[in-house]
Amino acid sequence: MPEIIDPKELDEKKIFLILASPGTIRQRNIEIIKEISALGYHTVVITTNFPYSVLTKLYAQGGVSPDSVSFIDAVTRNSIGNAENIPGIVRFINNPANLTDMGIAVTEVLKDHQGKKICIMFDSVSTLLIYLSSANISKFIHFVTNKLRLLDVSGIFLAVEKSLDPMLMTQLTTFVDTVVDTG
Amino acid sequence: MENTHNNQSCIEAGILDNALVMIAVLGERGQVVSWNHAAETITGYLQKDIIGSNSVWKHLYPDRDYRKSVTEKIADILKTKNYFEDLETTIRTRSGESRTILWNTKTITDHGLPRVITVGMDVTTDRQETAFRESIIDNAYVLLAVLGPKGTILVWNKAAEMITGYSNGEVIGKNDIWKKLYPDTEYRRSITLKIAKIISEHNYFENLETTIVTKNNEKRIISWNTRQTRTRGIYHEIAIGRDITEQRKAEEALIAYMTEMTMRLKQPVGIINNTLMESARLVKEGMLTTDEIIMVLQGQARNAAQIESNIREFQTAIVEKNLSIPEAYRKFLEG
Repeated sequence: MPEIIDPKELDEKKIFLILASPGTIRQRNIEIIKEISALGYHTVVITTNFPYSVLTKLYAQGGVSPDSVSFIDAVTRNSIGNAENIPGIVRFINNPANLTDMGIAVTEVLKDHQGKKICIMFDSVSTLLIYLSSANISKFIHFVTNKLRLLDVSGIFLAVEKSLDPMLMTQLTTFVDTVVDTG
Repeated sequence: MENTHNNQSCIEAGILDNALVMIAVLGERGQVVSWNHAAETITGYLQKDIIGSNSVWKHLYPDRDYRKSVTEKIADILKTKNYFEDLETTIRTRSGESRTILWNTKTITDHGLPRVITVGMDVTTDRQETAFRESIIDNAYVLLAVLGPKGTILVWNKAAEMITGYSNGEVIGKNDIWKKLYPDTEYRRSITLKIAKIISEHNYFENLETTIVTKNNEKRIISWNTRQTRTRGIYHEIAIGRDITEQRKAEEALIAYMTEMTMRLKQPVGIINNTLMESARLVKEGMLTTDEIIMVLQGQARNAAQIESNIREFQTAIVEKNLSIPEAYRKFLEG
């Protein structure tokens, strides 16, 4: 299986948009984390669909070391109402539509991991469409990519292929360095 | 000889009396010498009441200031020549109506006496029709331009002024307005070619869309229709332009909105489906705790509720944005 993320580009702190079919997007998520973990990167997964506890199990099943991943979880608190952050493992935000909290969480996580080889993975742009207009999603991703570039951190945005309208797709393409369609 | 002269006079009197225009013969001091039947019909003043008097003009022009202005105008004309042509005045008839009269005069000598033959044509109906036509042209909510030979602009209505920003005075009698409206040489050339091709095939064009640049440097989309008319052997082009800029913007906004909402409805349903299928597999494999199953199900239920809310928002927006939706469908969409 050819690698999805080019290690050279990752080291150059490039920002990626990874497209996958609805049926394979979870598998791509696991493969990417395995790839970049093998390169010594710690991945911060921003999850907007599965709670972090479920993702942890899926990653474990997929052979991903739990130490190589931490989470910003936008699902759990939305379901059970209250969940305490676990330092180094998970930060909870109230719901996926709260972009302000999400932005703050990203900033704080990046601060926590300053000086380390870190990569932010956003799973996924498509889920955000349930809660936000493409204009707001575009603004948020612009904010996050700017932040990543300022802090010299690489980032990966996952999206379901053909799910984004041409306008949003064009905007996202201009924010990222590389678009990989994994099919 | 005498008989011949009498016959001639009778014929002249008959012509004078039955003419369809008002004819008044005036003496040296402006007194009425002759007043035909049409003059009686138009003014309401009878021959017997005014022959020999010059007071009829005061009756026809009762407003002192207006009478003065007409007198001054006539005096001005008579300074250089002893007749006048197509002088238009408005008279007040005996019954109080206003009539527009086009005057022409000629000075003659009759049996050694100086006479002025005054011919007045009642153009009231013509003027009313013209005013009505002009009012329609000016108040039309479409750009209306009439082009004469060599593309010279003959008519440029108020809507044309409003849409393009170019006033009547800047356009009438000239043919350079198109260069101003299409400042880009390439675009102008492409439009000219397109028009020439259509005209060569049909003599007119319908719903041709072009983008003009207004005097304020704004771009407006105009849908053009033309017709060719022929008046007294001269061909004129009537160009009617409808400003469809806002309509196009609305259409584009609607398409953008529908695309956005399609994306925001279709994709999430797929996401819910995949998440539930994946969760089912994990449950089967015994990987999820009861709390996790509840969390996943609640999460997807929330997603579904949000999608339902998005659909409602979509229905409302479509109804608001597209008023052409039939009533029955509108009610259905409004829920």
